[in-house]
Amino acid sequence: MLKLLKIEYKKIIPYSTFWVIFGLFFFFTPFFFYGLGQIKLDSFPIDFTAIYHFPEVWNNITYIASWFNLLIGMLLVILVCNEFSFKTFRQHVIDGQSKSDFILSKILLSSSFSFLTTFYLFLIVGILGFVSGSDGSFLTDIKYLLIYFVQSLGYMSLGLIIAIVIRSSALAIIMFTFSIFFESVLSYLVPDAIAQFLPLEIISNLTPVPTPKGIQVAVLVDAIPLNTSLMIAGIYILAFWGISFLTLSYKDVK
Amino acid sequence: MNEILSINNVSKRYGHVKALNNVSLQINKGEIYGILGPNGSGKTTTLGIILGALNPDMGSYSWNGNRPTKFDRKKIGSLLETPNFYPYLSARQNLSIACKIKGVSENEVDRVLTKLDLLYRADSKFKTFSLGMKQRLAIASALLGNPETLVLDEPSNGLDPQGIADIRNVILDLANQGKTIIMASHILDEVEKICTHVAILKLGNLLTYGPIESVLNNQAKVVVSSENIVLLERVLAQIDGVSHVRKNGDKLSLILATGKDGAYLNKALFEEGIVVSEISIQKSDLESNFLELIK
Repeated sequence: MLKLLKIEYKKIIPYSTFWVIFGLFFFFTPFFFYGLGQIKLDSFPIDFTAIYHFPEVWNNITYIASWFNLLIGMLLVILVCNEFSFKTFRQHVIDGQSKSDFILSKILLSSSFSFLTTFYLFLIVGILGFVSGSDGSFLTDIKYLLIYFVQSLGYMSLGLIIAIVIRSSALAIIMFTFSIFFESVLSYLVPDAIAQFLPLEIISNLTPVPTPKGIQVAVLVDAIPLNTSLMIAGIYILAFWGISFLTLSYKDVK
Repeated sequence: MNEILSINNVSKRYGHVKALNNVSLQINKGEIYGILGPNGSGKTTTLGIILGALNPDMGSYSWNGNRPTKFDRKKIGSLLETPNFYPYLSARQNLSIACKIKGVSENEVDRVLTKLDLLYRADSKFKTFSLGMKQRLAIASALLGNPETLVLDEPSNGLDPQGIADIRNVILDLANQGKTIIMASHILDEVEKICTHVAILKLGNLLTYGPIESVLNNQAKVVVSSENIVLLERVLAQIDGVSHVRKNGDKLSLILATGKDGAYLNKALFEEGIVVSEISIQKSDLESNFLELIK
């Protein structure tokens, strides 16, 4: 398994797109998060710097970073589509990889990306949280990191299946973005009871919109408890991986 | 056991196009087997199937008598259709990935690059390579780990005359080391100069196969004529050893199987009551035999 992951990194470390997209993620996540804390509204006296405080910081940063998860999802789409357009997938097969090795490689790669981004958030929080002198406990609500990890894996597993079915980079990226819009529209068309179980709904709601302290918000009825959401997301992820494998194994390697 | 590859009744369709029709072939250790045929005859499909890239609709194949696995493929050096590498990686980086997949030492990279005369461009990106260099890199990649069996699909594709001669020497050198080579080509000359055996495909059908001299050389092309050409044609079709009967003006041309001669044919016709007005055996040459076969 480690050997497969090593091969994956041999392919992408010299690849500039990999660095650009991770660079964007690494730059914009703290940039936005920090910027949000600097907002001052004259008419509305909220202390936005509270977003840096423990334990809310975990929810806040994972929510911000979740938007940039789409970038990492797109990177995975590009990397998988490249294997088809360069025909390197076919070369790997005739050189002695199996189709399941190929899927496993991409699952390992996705997991390592999720691990990298999650660890990065952990570092940002460590720095920002302590600098701003929080009084909360460090470990309270650190579970949001796990949730974030699952969410980012969720977006990438969607990316994987789209890339494997469509195979062409440009079209797959469009479909990846479009699927998010498509599901948002669909969720209005079907009853809420069903809509809340749609895959992207489950995945994106893992990191809920934070409710800032001091604002009285209408309490939203959160129908699915977090643990259930996590479990369902896990099932979706496994299903996406499984369908990706089945799609690949029935098709000829072109 | 001597048998390296066995293909058994393999068929493959693309939509309603029959790419391979019930093909069977055995290849033994040390043979240099040329798969010869015009474009679209099913050569690449055959190689794609034995390399695990295409799923046959029917039939099976085996390497060394066993059900094929990915571990067989690691020990086969192969080039299928086009050189496939990451354009943004250097030749060395690309080959090092292939080494990791095949499980061979990375020391092999420099050896194969030297053999294909590419060492001076080892650190250039693949996308900067010319067509001929890409092809040579693909052959270099097939040589990683010094495999006992090689599967090469049109190895001289895109090469200049010097490149073609170089590749031919590389392949002959491998052949002299006793390796088994399966090579697809549409160039008769290439197969003639390199191969010990040949299989001829046309529109997915295996027309003939065997040692190269018996397939391409020993069949005599015969021209016969008689007063009643319609009767002659009907009778010829029933004579053992006669094939590819074709009308050629007021004469008929045919191919006579190995071991049969003009006297045999004349006698057989006479027994059927046909008096031949002309019978001539044309000196066979490879090209006309080949063209005759794939007609």
